[in-house]
This record gives sequence, structure tokens and C-alpha cells, in this order.
Amino acid sequence: MKDLPQTVFVVDDDDAVRDSLRMLLKSAGVHAEASASAQEFLSSYDASHPGCLVLDVRMPGMSGLEMQHELNLRGVTMPVIFITGHGDIPMAVEAMQHGAFDFLQKPFRDQELLDRVQRALVRDTENRARLRHTDRIRERLASLSPREREVLDLVTQGKANKMVAGDLGVSQRTVEIHRAHVMQKMEAGSLAELVRMMMAVAPPP
Amino acid sequence: MTAPTPEVLALLEATLDAAVIMDDRGRIEAFNTSAEVMFGYRAADAIGRNVNMLMTAADRGGHDDHLRRYLTTGESQVLGRGRDVRVQHRDGSEFSVFLSVGRIPNSAPPRFLGFLHDTSLRQKALATLEKERQVNRLYLDLAQVMLVATDRNGVVQLANQRAIRVLKREHANIVDSNWIESCVAPEDRATARAAFRHLLVSGNDEPQVCEYHVRSSDGEDRFITWRGVALRDAENVATGIMLSGEDITDQRRAESEAHRALERMNSVARLATMGEMAAGISHELNQPLAAIANYAQACVRFLRMPAPDLPEISGALEQIASQALRAGEIIRRIRSLVRNEDVRRETQDINELIREVHGLLASDARVHDGKLALDLASPLPSVTVDGVQIQQVLMNLVHNAFEAQAPEHDGAPFEVRIATRVTGSGDVEVSVSDLGPGLAGEAEQKIFEPFFTTKASGTGLGLAISRSIIKAHDARLGYRANHPRGACFYFVLPAHQEAPS
Repeated sequence: MKDLPQTVFVVDDDDAVRDSLRMLLKSAGVHAEASASAQEFLSSYDASHPGCLVLDVRMPGMSGLEMQHELNLRGVTMPVIFITGHGDIPMAVEAMQHGAFDFLQKPFRDQELLDRVQRALVRDTENRARLRHTDRIRERLASLSPREREVLDLVTQGKANKMVAGDLGVSQRTVEIHRAHVMQKMEAGSLAELVRMMMAVAPPP
Repeated sequence: MTAPTPEVLALLEATLDAAVIMDDRGRIEAFNTSAEVMFGYRAADAIGRNVNMLMTAADRGGHDDHLRRYLTTGESQVLGRGRDVRVQHRDGSEFSVFLSVGRIPNSAPPRFLGFLHDTSLRQKALATLEKERQVNRLYLDLAQVMLVATDRNGVVQLANQRAIRVLKREHANIVDSNWIESCVAPEDRATARAAFRHLLVSGNDEPQVCEYHVRSSDGEDRFITWRGVALRDAENVATGIMLSGEDITDQRRAESEAHRALERMNSVARLATMGEMAAGISHELNQPLAAIANYAQACVRFLRMPAPDLPEISGALEQIASQALRAGEIIRRIRSLVRNEDVRRETQDINELIREVHGLLASDARVHDGKLALDLASPLPSVTVDGVQIQQVLMNLVHNAFEAQAPEHDGAPFEVRIATRVTGSGDVEVSVSDLGPGLAGEAEQKIFEPFFTTKASGTGLGLAISRSIIKAHDARLGYRANHPRGACFYFVLPAHQEAPS
């Protein structure tokens, strides 16, 4: 999985624009894959493939904006750079409001595109690292026994062992043993670290 | 008293008029058969009675006086002259007769012979005629068209109610006056005169149609469609004309309103199409340009590599060439689009076109909190143009002018001015000026280039298309600085030349 290279996915219905973008990215040493339509891209895309998207706002069939919406629905977090034509500014604004990473008005200087692509790829790496981190925490949480999970929830609420023992109706000694198992399974060095882990996986308020 | 001779009696019986002989005291001596029929008395009953029994009560006394005066002075109001008198039938009904009286020669004391000719039939005919005349008058007055009759000199003989109402004049005021001089609008008198002459001289009995304005007493002009026929006497000589006129002023006004509304819609639709077209064109043109830029920049990068990928580079260069051609093709398409517009040239008054535009742009002015002023020279030579296209150009220029002023609103009202004037060479200059920032340096150079725009949401095509329209009219759309500030766009249209006939 980690072997997959970061790829810039270019989606543009215009053959020449699409091919020229692919070549420009290649000339800058960036691996690029091109699709002629949103549908073509969505049908072949594997969410584990890291990279970023370069999307034309105006396309027949599914437009760039509609595709962005579809990606959001599918939980794809890959950054999207929109390419807009003359007079498409209102569309670009809408795209930004829906979480686009950036937009570019064509024609553009190569460096403008390459800079944005680089930043988008860095963002994707960060996103994926964050995701991997929370995935790991979730795996560890899944390894806890029900009793250990209860102890974890109570201690991360700030309760002392004695109070946890009272809440669960067990001895303080038993709580201490469960707590040691929790710290070990969660690979947490301190209570503070445990709290941070729980916050990372907590659903947003 | 001498009895009438048989010859006299035979004469009296032969006449169809009533004949009565009376003595110097008015007593009836003879009463013929016609008199019996006319008055309902038998001769035997009438003879010996005073003749005044045949007269109406009003005339009875007068008769005795006349007779007495004649006998004493010899003066008569009736002898040898005759007169109309009212008489009375035995049953009391009154009627008119023409009375002629003669004194019987050598009679002393004098005796008189009177003939009474029944004129009530003639009177009845006259009354019927009068009634018919009134009915005809009613027909004329009920007619929803104006009816006017004149003699061959154009002097009005008759005008119906409708004509009187439209002209807002008295009947007496129209009749006997010259139709053309007194009722036709001065600008149309030549037309009316020509139509009048034509009616009189042409032997054609078909109604002839012409249209001209009449002027009412309060100075209002009404537009009338006239159908005229010549009135002819027995020898077929034209004695005058009869006109029936329909007031089509309101109808015309409604028609031109509708026509104008339609034109307005057309030009708005065309403008909208132009906007869409511009957006489409700019998008299309952007594609090959973007591709060219990308390929070229890729080539530069490849060439900087220690071992350039030559096949990739040559592929990119081929693409650049073909994309440049694609862009050229798009431009050629725009050109033919603009050229294929069917141009409908008509000889027009440019001021009129501008006034129409003024109406359309009033809301534009309001939106910008500004004012659209007109400064139109008059008279102007007419020009041969496609009105809708010229209006499109004017709308574009005015719209630009308001937009140019918008960002610098300093409390002073925006004013955009459309002006016309005759140039030194006799052609017509139209200008649109504003009090905005004007154009500086680069903008002045590039303002007519397609896709150049100073506006955030502009397509940059408005001026380019405007210029191509003006160019198609053999003119040039130019720019100069406005005094004291702002921009002024102008074009000079050649004055319409009358084709030599």
C-alpha cells in the first residue's frame, strides 16, 4: 500500500488540454494519470491511491463541481485543484466553499500549477498520515475487553481509580489491573497521551 | 248681375283649377266643378255666399279689407300677380292654393274671376324632400367615418358630425371654407392637393385612397385614411369630391408601440445572445491557448534535462502547431458569425433611433444612479443603417459608460451623454461620452481588442463586436478623451445620398 506513488489525477474533457497537462506534470517529474470524464475517473479510482486531483470546472456530463460533491459523499479526502476558464470565477468561488484546495485560471504559468500541485500533494500526505494514526488508535481500541473499555472511558473523564471502582462495583485493585492492561494495549505512556488519542478518534462535535 | 255666357261657363268647366266668379261685395256668382271637388261645396250651395267662406279664419277678415281698399283706391295686392294663400275645405281641413285673380272687363260695379290652383301636392313633395334630406343628414351623422364634400374648387359643401368632432369645429365654420387650406395639416397640404387634383381629373370612379393629417381647431393633428370619389354632373363633368375618412391615429400609435416593443425585445434577445456567444467563444478559445502554454512550458522543462526526451518534445511541438491552428479556426468562425448577420439597411433618422434607445436604457441609468442625457442636433441628414445593430452598439457604449463611472462614485450624479452633430463634410457623428475615469495608456491602445476588458465580469467582446458593426456600415468606431474628463466613443455615419433618378 505504501508503495503506491503519489499521483496527480487530471480530469479534463479536452484532449489537448488533458494531454498537455499530463506532459507538463511529467516534465516536472510528477506522475500523472489522465481521465476524459468524471465518470471515467470515479469508476477506476482506488481511494487508497495517494495524490491530488486537477479538475476542469466545465465538463460535459458530470461537471467538476458535481464531481467534487460526489467525492465528498464518498469520503475521498484527496485535495482538488480546479482549472477554470475566463469568466468562471463564480464557479471557482463555489468550489472553494465546498472545500476545494485551490483553483487556477487558464491559461496559466507552469510554475503556478506545479506549486499548487506540490502543496496539494503535501496536504494529501498529511491527511493520510492523520488517517493512519487514527486508524491505528481504532485498531487498539478494538482489542480492549468490554471491562477495559469501561475503565478507559471513566479514567479519560478524569476519574480516580477509587471512583472508577465505585462506579463499576469492583475493587480498586481490579481497576488498577485493568488500567495497566489499557495503557499497555493502547501503547500510551501517560494518561495525557491516552486522552489525546481518544480526542483524535472522537467524532467531531 | 249678369249671368255668365255659355262660352265662359264652358271655359270654367274645362279648367282643372277651381274657378270662382264673385261680385264687388265678394258674393259668389259662379263655382265650377273643380271648385266643388276642391272645397266640398255644391255650386248651388256656394253661389250667393261670401267667398271668404273658402278662406281660413286667419285670412277671412283680410279679404274683405283688400276688396274694399281696391274698390276705393284701385290698389290691389293680388290682381295680375297671384299669390299663395291658405284655404279651407268644407270639412275644416286647410290646404294651400295658388290664387290668381282677374277683374272681368267692363264690369261695373266690378266683378272678379279667381283661379285657385291646388299647390298642396307640391308642398307635400317639398316636405317629403325636406324629410329625406333630414334622414340623409342623419345617415351622414350616424356614420362612424368622417364625410366631407367639396365643390370643384375645394370649398366644403358638407361635413358630417364625425368630421366636425374630429376637427373640433362648428359646421358653419367648415362649410364654405376651403378644405385643404382650413382643415389639412400644413405639412400634408401638398399631398392633399395632389390627391384632390387626381380625383378631379381621373375618370376612374373607383374610390381612391390616400392618407394625410388634418389639424383640429386646437392644433392637434389626427392621421386619417381617406377614400375619395369625384362627384359628377349629367355631362360627367366633375363638380366636386366626396371624401370618407377614418381616423387611424390611435391605431397607428398602438401599432408603432407594438412594433417598438418587439424591436426592443429583439435587441435585448440579440444582446443576450451576444453575451452567451462571447462566453462560449472565450471558453473555446481558452482551451487551445491553455494547451499551447502547457506544451510549450513542458518542452522548456524537457529541454533543460540532461537527457531530453526528444520524442516527447517533438510530440509536444506538433501539438502546439495543431492547437494554434485550432485557435485560428475558432477566430475564423467568430468572424463569419459576425459577417453572416443579415444586415437590413434602411434610410433612418438617427435621432429617432437614439430616442428609442434612450427609452430602453432609462432603467440602466437608474440602476447606476445616473442620468442619460441626449444632445441631438436637428435637422440631421438621414443615414442608411441597420437600426437594430446601431442601437445595439449604442446600448453597449452607454452600458460601458455607466459601468466605467460606477467605481468612482463621489456623490456627483453620473451622466452619460449621447450626442449627434453634422460634421464638416456633412456626415453624421454620433458620440457617447461619460464623466468617468477615461482610458489611460495601455487601455487606450487595447480597448478595441477582442477579450480585452477593464471590467471584472466583462467578456471583452462588446466593443470588438460594436466596432465590427460600425465597420460594416463603412464607418469607424473611435475613442477620444472627453472634456473635462471621462471617455468619449464616437462614430461617423455617411449621410444618405439620394440616388440620382
